[in-house]
Amino acid sequence: MGWFPISFTMPFVLVGLFALPLIWYLLRLTPPRPQAEVFPPLRILAQLVSRQETPDRSPWWMTLLRLLLIALVVFALADPVLNKRENLAQEGDALAIIIDNGWASAPDWQDRVATAGRLIDDAEAAQVPVLLAFTAERPNAEIGPFDAQTARDHLRAAEALPVPVDRKSVLSRVEQALTSFARPEIAYLNDGLLGADGAEVDDRALRNVLAKNVSSLIWGKADLSKLVGLANASNEAEGLRLTAIRAQPATEATSISAGAFDERGRRIGETRIAFPAGEVTGTALVSAPFELRNDFSSIALDGQEQAGAVRVLDESAKRRRVGLIAQAESDSAQPLLSPLFYIRKAIAPFADMIEVPSADLVEAVPKLLEQQPAMIIMADIGVLPESSRKALFDWVEKGGTLVRFAGPHLAAGSKDDDLLPVKLRGGERALGGTMSWTEPQALTDYAQSGPFADLPRPDSVTVTRQVLAEPSADIASRTWASLSDGTPLVTGRQQGEGRLVLFHVTPEATWSNLPISGNFVDMLRRIIQQSRNQGRVFANVQGAVISMPPYRMIAADGSLIAPTPDARPLMGTDSKVTIENPPGLYGNEDGVFAHNLLPEGSALTALERPQVSMKISEITYGPDRTQELRGPLFGIALLLLLIDTLATMWLGGAFARRWKRPASTAHLGLLLIAGGFALSLLAASAVLADDAKPGDQEAIEAISTTRIAYVITGDKAIDDISRAGITGLNRFIVEKTALEPGEAAGIDIASDELSFYPLIYWPVDANADMPDEAAMARIDAYMRQGGTVLFDTRDQYGQDFDGPDASPSTLRLRELLADLNVPPLEPVPSDHVLTKSFYMMPDFPGRFTGSPLWIEASTATENSAERPVRVGDGVSPILITANDLAGAWAIDNAGEPLLPTLSGDYMQREYAYRGGVNIMMYMLTGNYKSDQVHVPSLLERLGQ
Amino acid sequence: MAAFGRQVPPSLPDETLVTARGRAALLPDLLVDARRIANNVTAGWHGRRQRGIGENFWQFRPYVDGEGTARIDWRRSAREDHLFIRDKEWEAAHTVWLWADDTPSMLYKSRLASVSKQERALIIVLALAELLSRSGERIGWPGMTHPFTSRNGAERIAMRLAQIGQAASLPDFSAIKRYSDIVIASDFLDLPDITKARLNPLVERGVRAHLVEIVDPAEEEFPFAGRTEFHDPESGETLTAGRAETMAADYRNLYLARRAELSEWCKRQGWSFTTSHTDHQASEALAAIHMALSTDRASVSAGGR
Repeated sequence: MGWFPISFTMPFVLVGLFALPLIWYLLRLTPPRPQAEVFPPLRILAQLVSRQETPDRSPWWMTLLRLLLIALVVFALADPVLNKRENLAQEGDALAIIIDNGWASAPDWQDRVATAGRLIDDAEAAQVPVLLAFTAERPNAEIGPFDAQTARDHLRAAEALPVPVDRKSVLSRVEQALTSFARPEIAYLNDGLLGADGAEVDDRALRNVLAKNVSSLIWGKADLSKLVGLANASNEAEGLRLTAIRAQPATEATSISAGAFDERGRRIGETRIAFPAGEVTGTALVSAPFELRNDFSSIALDGQEQAGAVRVLDESAKRRRVGLIAQAESDSAQPLLSPLFYIRKAIAPFADMIEVPSADLVEAVPKLLEQQPAMIIMADIGVLPESSRKALFDWVEKGGTLVRFAGPHLAAGSKDDDLLPVKLRGGERALGGTMSWTEPQALTDYAQSGPFADLPRPDSVTVTRQVLAEPSADIASRTWASLSDGTPLVTGRQQGEGRLVLFHVTPEATWSNLPISGNFVDMLRRIIQQSRNQGRVFANVQGAVISMPPYRMIAADGSLIAPTPDARPLMGTDSKVTIENPPGLYGNEDGVFAHNLLPEGSALTALERPQVSMKISEITYGPDRTQELRGPLFGIALLLLLIDTLATMWLGGAFARRWKRPASTAHLGLLLIAGGFALSLLAASAVLADDAKPGDQEAIEAISTTRIAYVITGDKAIDDISRAGITGLNRFIVEKTALEPGEAAGIDIASDELSFYPLIYWPVDANADMPDEAAMARIDAYMRQGGTVLFDTRDQYGQDFDGPDASPSTLRLRELLADLNVPPLEPVPSDHVLTKSFYMMPDFPGRFTGSPLWIEASTATENSAERPVRVGDGVSPILITANDLAGAWAIDNAGEPLLPTLSGDYMQREYAYRGGVNIMMYMLTGNYKSDQVHVPSLLERLGQ
Repeated sequence: MAAFGRQVPPSLPDETLVTARGRAALLPDLLVDARRIANNVTAGWHGRRQRGIGENFWQFRPYVDGEGTARIDWRRSAREDHLFIRDKEWEAAHTVWLWADDTPSMLYKSRLASVSKQERALIIVLALAELLSRSGERIGWPGMTHPFTSRNGAERIAMRLAQIGQAASLPDFSAIKRYSDIVIASDFLDLPDITKARLNPLVERGVRAHLVEIVDPAEEEFPFAGRTEFHDPESGETLTAGRAETMAADYRNLYLARRAELSEWCKRQGWSFTTSHTDHQASEALAAIHMALSTDRASVSAGGR
């Protein structure tokens, strides 16, 4: 649509706009309807004015409002669309979408995905297959052709990776895949940067893929203006020197801030990197104290959410390794006399010390050099073996810093050593002492040319003995510190890339008190700061390639993360950054190697679009900004309608009266809204409160009192007796004990909830239907969960379960128990708690007296003889009797016994009740009564 | 939008009576000043705080020659050397006419008011009837009843009103005699000259009138705005105002000028003029009329005795 970002889906509706003049004419004619009012003092009013003229026209602004309203509605009906997207992919018979998902794509990756998604949509509309290739993926990644849905899935799964793109291989694969299509179309959503292989490789790869019968090219234009990479971070004396690069120079000077982070991601240093106008490189120094700099773990550019703007730092940028060599290490019994003692103490806080146990210099020096130290301190070594001397010299030439201390050996040793900064005179000079006129010498200010120039003047140091340098022309320039008489105390000089330093005193406090002063620490620290580690730990094993496991990875958005599953151990230190070896730290806690995305000195170069002769359309990345305007337009029209209504009411004088009367309809409306809200809240709370389930009422009734249940057998006579029996027992229990049981509960074991009842009385009826398996499972569960079932065969002779002459009820009981987990049984022993839980009961008669009461056999315990009751936990889950307990308990409504006892003995019924009470107490209190035996002894103890 | 004011059905006198009783209960018994008026006196129930015809003892006073010996109180005179006459307290009643306007213009109630004008007028009049009856005054409704004395005077008037009803804009004043009082509750919305002409017979006859103007706040404040069509309930005329709010100030001036003129005229006649707003309590106006009825005319008007 060119410059005009709005297009209409149905432009013919706009014809409706021609109706506006007519509407305008109509609107001008209609005045608002007057408000009718009864007004008794009309005669007085009539005096005032005989005839009030009525306005026959609406105010102009109201007309305008209404016209605008109608125009808006017409526009909205025409379905306007803002920034209507152009359909790009409609030329070929296939669409190959190539996406750069390297590190440079990460900041606007979502925009690229959105763009690719639109291209897939277009392809779907054109019904052509889609090839989807990512240039930073593994070489074996599937590229299609896909249908649109699969392509979308692949697109969603893809993400930007913190690695450089590999255009060559991917483009060649696309090239092969495109051979099967007659006139494919290619969309290349590139990141705008040349690959690591250089311009020629990329250009050739692009030309190859475009040389085919490609119908058209859609070329993504990446915005490189904001892309900045961090090309280098090197440690210098004053701080960490950062070098940032960008792809496009800006016309005016810009700057970007960078932060230094420690291992835990805390920002502990920062700087601003300035890009001069027209430059693509900018540098800056992170000035931080030396100790703090050692904590730098990574450097990141602010606002750059990509891996190229992050550099991880490894040991080579951190603490210096310092090798220590002494010729004669004193025995450990006298550490203060050890030549290295003060050195170790001084440098321990800011350097790693390497010591070689061997005292043989031929052996020790190469071992030390293997560790690639930044600095080697030699304490009073006079003559070096030739091999060691040569190795050391080479090391210094390459950048090592050699610090030597004087001593008797050096004073006596070689005077013309090329590992000394100055020539030494033989012997040493002593100052002060009993036989000397001279005083111990103090130090003057440090030499301005030396590294100690800005250190404060050492006041307290005195030197009593030193080695002297041969005077020479350049001695002054090599002197870093000198005594007050001008003789040098510390000398140093550049040797190759490295440095030679000599302290003209011993490293222990025999020649001077320098080693025990704070200045000694400052001096060593300054020298160490200016030294540089010579290589990395990992590179030192000769020949063998070291495998370093991934430790911390740089994610595509520039954050440090745990190793990704793709990351493989880094083989060797010169590996490229690939998917297997994404940038980051490799190694472990003890030592890491920084594997950075951008090599030192790299540059970001823009990728040129190849000059090919085909239809080329360029697109920029970004989400679909197509916006339907219909909704907002209707909304505005509605708003205008509201304004118009309010204005009409205002013209009609509604508000003038409203304001005089507080209780207006507006308030009524508010009240209605509030009321509705409250009502909905009420409704909500009602919904919340109503969580009752069917059966709750029964459950509450069942558990509100203790109730004895009986099993409904289906035989009405038996059920009636059961019910009457439990009613009689209840009455007895109420009379005699503190327990007041509820009404007897008849239960159907197949459906009713059993767990509400402590005891279920089950009259076994041979004629009743056998309960099904599920019902028996319920009974079994009930018994296992602590309930008790009292089986009553109601035939006194069925006391033998196994006998062949068992009664029908006993047989039925046998069948029932076959399905249950019945524990071992025994007749109630005389010392069982059941016999003592309320009454002392020798046996448990019912209507019959013959049957014992069977109960779960107590485990054989070593009951002591004096205990009247055997102990044991739990309640027997099963009680079996044949005495027809319910028959003996049963009473009618008048309270009279229903059935006679077999013997006719009055007391037998009484005992039956008592047995029932004991059973019930046993159910409810368990072994409480057996614990009562302790009461006498407890009371006895309390009494004392 | 709903209209501001509306025409309401007339309220029934017997319903209004309850309200009127309530209002009357708030006020003390009414003592109508009728000291001046000898002719009209009939025996009433309450004392006049001076000697006269009555039943209650008022004072003993020395016998003056020429008085009838029958009035000598012998019991009192026996105690001393002088003769004493027992004076009785003068107990007298007064005639007060009551009248409330019942024309359609009174059946107006705006949203600002709690009652219609007609109801307010009835309440005030019936409350006065209750008060006066309680004090034993003779009350009457011109054109409907003769003056009568009754304990339940308000009820009788209310019943008569309910039976007969009335519609005349002003009643027949011919039955009203000199020296009696009349309370007229109306909105007096006619032009002042017309109203004065109607009331003139009362002036001529020497009747003391108490005008109670019943006002709906909407009539006084003119809260209308915008395009409004006004409708007169009595004449049925309509008047359309394009921007009613522009007329408000002028209208208010006219309205208040009418009231001022009427009030001034009443003052000149020695009458009282009370305004009762229907958004205010009826008791306020009732208290004012109560005051006017019970004070001496001399203290009200500048005329003196």
